[in-house]
Amino acid sequence: MKLIAGVDIGNSTTEVCVGGVDEEGRFRFLSSASRMTTGTKGTLPNVHGIKAALLEAMDKVHRPVGELSLIRLNEAAPVIGDTAMETITETIITESSMIGHNPSTPAGAGEAVGEILFLDHIQNGKPGVSYIVAVTSLFSYEEAARRLNQYIPELDIRGLILQADEAVLVENRLSRKMPILDEVRHIRRIPEGKLAAIEVALPGTSVRMLSNPYGIATLLGLDAEETKAVTPIAKSLIGKRSAVVIKTPHGNMKENVLPAGEIIFHGDSDRTVNIDAGADRIMEVLAGAGEIRDIEGETDTNVGNMLSRIRGSMEQISVPAEGDIHITDILAVDTLAPVEISGSLAGETCMEKAVGIAAMVKTRQLPMRQIAARLEEELHVKAAVAGVEAVMASLGAMTTPGTKLPLAVLDMGGGSTDAALLTADGKVRTTHQAGAGELVSMLIQTELGLKSRVTAEQIKRYPMGKVESLFHMRLENGAMQFFEDSLDPRYYGNVVLLAPDEMLKIEEDIPMERILEVRREAKKKVFVRNALRALRTVAPDQDLRRIPNVVLVGGSAEDFEIPEMLMQALADYRIVCGRGNIRGCEGPRNAVATGLLMSYFSQ
Amino acid sequence: MVVNKPSIIVYTSGADEDYLREVCAGIEEEGVLYQIISREGDLDTLAYEAAAESMLGSGIGMQGDRIAMQMQRLPKGKNVFELIAPRFWQCRNLGANSARAVKKMPFKEIYGEEPI
Repeated sequence: MKLIAGVDIGNSTTEVCVGGVDEEGRFRFLSSASRMTTGTKGTLPNVHGIKAALLEAMDKVHRPVGELSLIRLNEAAPVIGDTAMETITETIITESSMIGHNPSTPAGAGEAVGEILFLDHIQNGKPGVSYIVAVTSLFSYEEAARRLNQYIPELDIRGLILQADEAVLVENRLSRKMPILDEVRHIRRIPEGKLAAIEVALPGTSVRMLSNPYGIATLLGLDAEETKAVTPIAKSLIGKRSAVVIKTPHGNMKENVLPAGEIIFHGDSDRTVNIDAGADRIMEVLAGAGEIRDIEGETDTNVGNMLSRIRGSMEQISVPAEGDIHITDILAVDTLAPVEISGSLAGETCMEKAVGIAAMVKTRQLPMRQIAARLEEELHVKAAVAGVEAVMASLGAMTTPGTKLPLAVLDMGGGSTDAALLTADGKVRTTHQAGAGELVSMLIQTELGLKSRVTAEQIKRYPMGKVESLFHMRLENGAMQFFEDSLDPRYYGNVVLLAPDEMLKIEEDIPMERILEVRREAKKKVFVRNALRALRTVAPDQDLRRIPNVVLVGGSAEDFEIPEMLMQALADYRIVCGRGNIRGCEGPRNAVATGLLMSYFSQ
Repeated sequence: MVVNKPSIIVYTSGADEDYLREVCAGIEEEGVLYQIISREGDLDTLAYEAAAESMLGSGIGMQGDRIAMQMQRLPKGKNVFELIAPRFWQCRNLGANSARAVKKMPFKEIYGEEPI
């Protein structure tokens, strides 16, 4: 039997499909495999991933890779997606002037105002002055309580700030009730002698006085000018369970609006838009500019640097002689990013306005032939570059049961969302749009403030549940799942992701409802918007209603909720839309690789 | 004996006083009540029965310099956490965890290096 392999290199995965022709000339599909793409799509490092995928596919049919008689690579569309994120506002505190955080167990409730005094210097306190006492972890809770009780009769102590997690322990031993804040890591940075206002919220609520500029003004006696200056402080304390605001003589906290810069679209007409205007406006201007030849950012601004960085990484890989590089599409998304406040006392963060951008870089041609040559050299199997990606994807998608022409294929991968419309007379219209799975991961990572991108990827991919006891968990849809054997106590009380065969714990302390909301929003912002945009571009006369059916393929079509989201969005246009099922068995993957084999066998 | 106060039960058998104080501080900081009762038995039994008899379903057994935390309906000997000759912060966090088991909150780290 003659064996042939089709190879599709994508931004994130490399797909392989193996088929054979028997002695009587009949062909059939034998196996397939999928591996991570090694290196940037269309570059020599890809060879490594291709070999691994070929090996896996051939292993399934128990044949060595050397028995292949031909490897067909797709002529990958010379477009590469890249993502970047820039914050466009920034809160700067030049001197420690506030604490706002969520210790798990503060004590007491209400607000208090007083001069900051460290417990070490309590003997210097004067009667008749109100004090907020700061206690370092050098004092045990018993010692701290004893010393405070000793001075409470003569000094007017209104509230406490503790370094250790001992608020309740100290409170239980004090002779007077007062608000107590704990877990303030950098307590030594608090300026002694300054006037401070402290607030601990009632259980189940968040601070009210200190998250309100007029509340701060009331407590600290500020004038109108000073009240205006503390507005960013109030803003960053919204939603906190406990907070301290310290009155420092000079307005030394400000919210900077960074020079985010302008984006310049070179299209049918040249348009510019400031990134400050927000994602919706940017996309509107982009649509108004017609067919885009190139997109630039204003030099020496965040967006300028961002776009030239994306361009730079593409320049490294394209064939130098043909190095004609253009950014032909971007997708902008509004988001909020928690950024650690410089000069924070307890690791506080502030939600800063940010914009995420995915860009689509186009060059004349990717060095696919070099990859083919390298494969031939290493595997001693003939390798050829054949077929245009979009056409191959359409051919592959046609193998989904229940489809007919004209057929639109929406290929949602990691780096880009591609659409192709295959009409009954064999014509194909295609488009490549920036923004897909990787942008979703980036949005999830920034909005939730996750340390690792891997966690964000996993949140995107798997449903989750909260472990409520060692024997059961509540799933994100409200259902309960019970376990015969007790769960590992590491998972207790945590939100876990339900990956096949294992549970993944989310290290960050974020409520499940919040993760769910961010995950769904990120997917909607990217995929629903992009799908409509892409389909409209390939539709006859830009009219979505003239596309009868849409097949979703690519890695992101495997997602457990994106296809449903798209189905709902497209139902308004009376379009039959669903996840593809390549060859009736592969699901939405492997369309291009399958198409490559089909085009060969039909020759 | 019938225990009908909603509290975490700590069964001790010749327990180290300093460890006991730290364990209790951990529970107190989380705002949960506890009862200390002295009785005979091996560590696993102390912890198991403490959890079984606690109305909150969370118990601690302490014997000499060994501490074990247990939760109701877990088999005897399969302690959730177990410490031998621990540091003070570990005792404190074990106490906090017995309370967090009641409050259905994620556990604090109790092995390894002291978190700063």
